[in-house]
Amino acid sequence: MTSATAEGSAAAWPAPDRSPAADELALLPKPQTDRALTEQLLDCVLKPPAWLDRAILVTGLGSFVLIAAVTYTLITGIGVWGNNIPVAWAFAITNFVWWIGIGHAGTFISAFLLLFEQKWRTSINRFAEAMTLFAVMQAGLFPLLHMGRAWFFYWLVPYPSTMKVWPQFRSSLTWDVVAVSTYFTVSLLFWYLGLIPDLAALRDYAKEPWRRRLYGIFALGWHGSAATWRRHRIAYGVLAGIAAPLVVSVHSIVSMDFSIGVLPGWHSTIFPPYFVAGAIYSGFALVLTLMIPARYLYRLEHVITRDHLEKMGKMLLVTGTIVTYAYAVEIYCAWSGGDAFDRHMLLHVRPRGPIAPIFWTVIACNCGSPLVLWSRRVRMSAVGLFVVTLAIQLGMWLERFLLIVSSESADFLPANAHYYSPSVIDIALLCGTLSFFTFLFCLFLRFVPFIPLSELKALEFELRGRS
Amino acid sequence: MSEKARIWAEFPSGAAVLGAARRMRERGHTRLDAYTPYPMPELEEVAELPRPRLLLSLILLGACTGGTLAFLIIWWTAAISYPLNVGGRPLNSFVTDIPILFESSVLGAAVTGFIGMLAFSGLPRLYDPLEQLSGFERTTIDRFWLGLECEPDAREALTSELTELGALSVQREETRA
Repeated sequence: MTSATAEGSAAAWPAPDRSPAADELALLPKPQTDRALTEQLLDCVLKPPAWLDRAILVTGLGSFVLIAAVTYTLITGIGVWGNNIPVAWAFAITNFVWWIGIGHAGTFISAFLLLFEQKWRTSINRFAEAMTLFAVMQAGLFPLLHMGRAWFFYWLVPYPSTMKVWPQFRSSLTWDVVAVSTYFTVSLLFWYLGLIPDLAALRDYAKEPWRRRLYGIFALGWHGSAATWRRHRIAYGVLAGIAAPLVVSVHSIVSMDFSIGVLPGWHSTIFPPYFVAGAIYSGFALVLTLMIPARYLYRLEHVITRDHLEKMGKMLLVTGTIVTYAYAVEIYCAWSGGDAFDRHMLLHVRPRGPIAPIFWTVIACNCGSPLVLWSRRVRMSAVGLFVVTLAIQLGMWLERFLLIVSSESADFLPANAHYYSPSVIDIALLCGTLSFFTFLFCLFLRFVPFIPLSELKALEFELRGRS
Repeated sequence: MSEKARIWAEFPSGAAVLGAARRMRERGHTRLDAYTPYPMPELEEVAELPRPRLLLSLILLGACTGGTLAFLIIWWTAAISYPLNVGGRPLNSFVTDIPILFESSVLGAAVTGFIGMLAFSGLPRLYDPLEQLSGFERTTIDRFWLGLECEPDAREALTSELTELGALSVQREETRA
């Protein structure tokens, strides 16, 4: 006998009914009243589990690593990093691209899947959106620090200064500024708009006056009249509609930082779609990395069901296949393009040069590891998926590292060639952002209803309420 | 003048409030209003809520404003205020403007959509007279309210009818702000 919520061997799981109605019903919690559903999901916030405060403490202390590394960098200068000429981008831009890519899956889940009316997004979209916000916060840090004099960041904004110079808008770096800041703002608005009704529910459900007051302020006086819901639905839909192309544009612009440069291995038209696919791939992986432990620790196996995991697993498989295809095309283009430097980079430096171990790790993690997801058993198993997502995380970070360091360290002049190794501060910055990200995410779990309550109730009504 | 008062009926489920709203609509009641814990598109149809055209037009306007403003800034700074020749490339080059124009349009639309949604709904607001209804605080959790206008003398008949349709309570709204 196995209980429905037990983790472990997927073999004991009965073959489910594959009719569409059963498919959709499998995404819902077991039948229960709105009251019970509210109680269960809001109690996650009002009565937080004991481990959460400890996690906040530990990751909060870990964030001091970030603060220390940033302070040291600002005081001393970025000479404390391992960057050199020619490898000027190195860790900072690797981290930037990796973090911002992770953010994209959040918007993808909440926007694209909303537009395609994928019902399974409901339990996980707020999770994914919060992940987006926090990931973009980490991402934004790196270009700022990488400028060297981060306190002059406002030079990136066109403001009438006494120097009478303006940002150079024909450079892809200014596009980055606009893309990332727009992306953060839109993600924040989208997330908050969806959150307002649930904050109102929390305001009305909480017992303590301070909570009622605090959540009341953020709920903005929401009561949910039919006209307000209608406007809310429409505004949410419009925001989703514009957030979807935004995701594609932001990572396309990030990829243009590379493809507009002339370095071998960068100057390629395949970069925008290749980067977008990679971004969504790594982001889906991180959603799962965060969701699987939270689902287990909060005992939410009946809200985030195995079917949710399976669908996410399929998305990983699809995006992983696209990424594999992009790698193949990238190499093929270099081979057939006839540019000697490109050929040397793609066919020799990366697969056979000193950086080859990283190249082959990337291939193993990003192209090899998702192949196990062809098996339904692995897709249905939380542990199996978790391991695969960790491999993908590693693979996608190394992919960006490979792309940046290999091309910069071996450009057109052999005399320029110079390899790169990170300094302690580089590693501290990366670990610091990981900790800070987890810290923010734990705060989110602690204070905000992280399963979209009203959407789940609406889905419940749509699928079951009429019967 | 004889005041038409608004009365509010409290229902325990989405199906009940929807049924009651349909029945009331058949009976010729117009200007229905409702409060629900989650969006109910069917209820919006029964209440004959108009499509928020103004909000949608404003969002479009916001997108156009964002894009135009961005174009004007780029064009003026690069081609007029401080022309800088970089490798003989055109000063006013529309192709390199496209990414920023797109992003700025999106930003304009999103900010307008967000502020517009709140403003048209009268949010943020500190107090709503409906909070006087007893049990109204459960609206965001599991109670559904249907609001009807009625003549003072028709109130009792309507109350019993609503109770028959499954209303848990029927209350009169005291003052309308």
